[in-house]
Amino acid sequence: MGDDAKSSKPFKQRKSFVSRRDEVAGIRAKFPSKIPVIVERYHKEKDLPLLDKTKFLVPQELTMSQFVTIIRNRMSLSSTSVLPYCQQQKFSKHVMTMAEVYKEEKDEDGFLYMVYASQEMFGS
Amino acid sequence: MAGPVMDAACITYEGISLEQDIFPRTKEPVWILGKEYITDKGEDNVNILRDIRSRLWCTYRKNFPAIGGTGPTADNGWGCMLRCGQMIFAEALICRHLGRHWQWDPDTTHPTYMQILQNFLDKKDSLYSIHQIAQMGVSEGKPVGSWFGPNTIAQVLKKLTSFDDWSSLCVHIAMDNTVIINDIKTLCKRELPTKTYGEATYNSRTSTGSERQRGKTGLDSKDGAAATKHRKLQAWRPLLLFIPLRLGLSEMNSVYNEPFKACFTFRHSVGVIGGKPNHAFYFIGFYGNNLLYLDPHTTQQAVNPERMSHIPDESYHCVYPSRMNISDLDPSIALGFFCSTEEEFDDLCTQINEHILSGHRRPMFELANDRPPHWPSLEIPPRPGDELNCSQQSDFTELNYESDEAKEFDTDGEYEIL
Repeated sequence: MGDDAKSSKPFKQRKSFVSRRDEVAGIRAKFPSKIPVIVERYHKEKDLPLLDKTKFLVPQELTMSQFVTIIRNRMSLSSTSVLPYCQQQKFSKHVMTMAEVYKEEKDEDGFLYMVYASQEMFGS
Repeated sequence: MAGPVMDAACITYEGISLEQDIFPRTKEPVWILGKEYITDKGEDNVNILRDIRSRLWCTYRKNFPAIGGTGPTADNGWGCMLRCGQMIFAEALICRHLGRHWQWDPDTTHPTYMQILQNFLDKKDSLYSIHQIAQMGVSEGKPVGSWFGPNTIAQVLKKLTSFDDWSSLCVHIAMDNTVIINDIKTLCKRELPTKTYGEATYNSRTSTGSERQRGKTGLDSKDGAAATKHRKLQAWRPLLLFIPLRLGLSEMNSVYNEPFKACFTFRHSVGVIGGKPNHAFYFIGFYGNNLLYLDPHTTQQAVNPERMSHIPDESYHCVYPSRMNISDLDPSIALGFFCSTEEEFDDLCTQINEHILSGHRRPMFELANDRPPHWPSLEIPPRPGDELNCSQQSDFTELNYESDEAKEFDTDGEYEIL
């Protein structure tokens, strides 16, 4: 279970396109009202912890902002920690629901992919 | 004192040709911390350089007293983001105590200026020294000598400012790319016991001469007697707002170029801390796609003055800025804005709406009136000396849509069902 997330390879490289597409079809049939989301840590990220799960089934009416708060809480980040960066944050996340983001940004395989990262450090 | 032209001529050792090198005469305006300069006629070049050298330039230093008694005595190789934090904070203090239009000259012994500068000297009892910052960084999980990010230094400065009764700033750091207007109003209007603002120099940021600024002008010009000013200041602690952002994963997403540059056109701008990958810079303006910055990567001797009223300060002012293309910017940054009154803050919000949000489907950051209900509650920072009351610091709110019931469906354990 946890091995998936700990593995260094991103989800897309661990499974073939066909198996990912079939997985989405299966999970969508089982949970038609949920959005299948893959949340992975940016490969260069050092400060933020790994999540113990990478696959989420998210209610479609949830806003991006609510979802980001859930991810933040999963990592036990305090409010003063660096915000997680999500690739999909380029949307107005306070108004966009997961269903709307999914419609525009879902991958060909049917998953919505998100990456999280904190800020880079500077020093040299 | 000599006239401005004479002064600038003495300071810019390399003379006119260098000025032209720095600012090619283009029709594109040069913006420095909310002031616009026109270079194609050449008249403004001297004014630009005068403006730039009036900023406080904090660099690597060597031979200062060991941090924590036994730690490093120099910060080259690790302290550049800490130095950038000092520069942006010094700019906020200049706006707070002297006003954006104040200009430095090499002979100045202005007591308020000297007091600001003293805060940044490399010794442990200076409020915003490398010593104080590095040691406060430990509470942010950064041992002395660690590299900082823009958010790290903002968090540390926020903690240090609670000991600064003279400036009495309200430092706010936006979370999750979102500025919550009413949170900021609550924090800035919070009454502080016992402290008065008798010494405060009121900032008049009116537009003068060849300088043009975006935003309403004359808001706070000569608008009343000292008593009115006093009351105003009582009702609003001057705000330093940091907005930490990540504008891309490994490189700057170019859709943010224009809104990023727009920040330097606001009269409230105190610059941006960020840099190229690994190298921190303090950005103060731009022309075209060139960003202008002060670079901390010069190691100078620590200054140890005999008298705080006459600090030898030539090494704290940079004669000319560095520049780089915006495409080389590391995506991790923190924007800085200073608002000495509530009206200025309202005006900042208007500017943000007009130049950063409207028409952008992918806004660089967001502005909301109220805190989203699913966010942790607003933390009111305790005053120094107050008992830290941990039980009141609830960092997290319960999310009611994460019921245990839902988790029962999670049969194979691979999916987390929300």
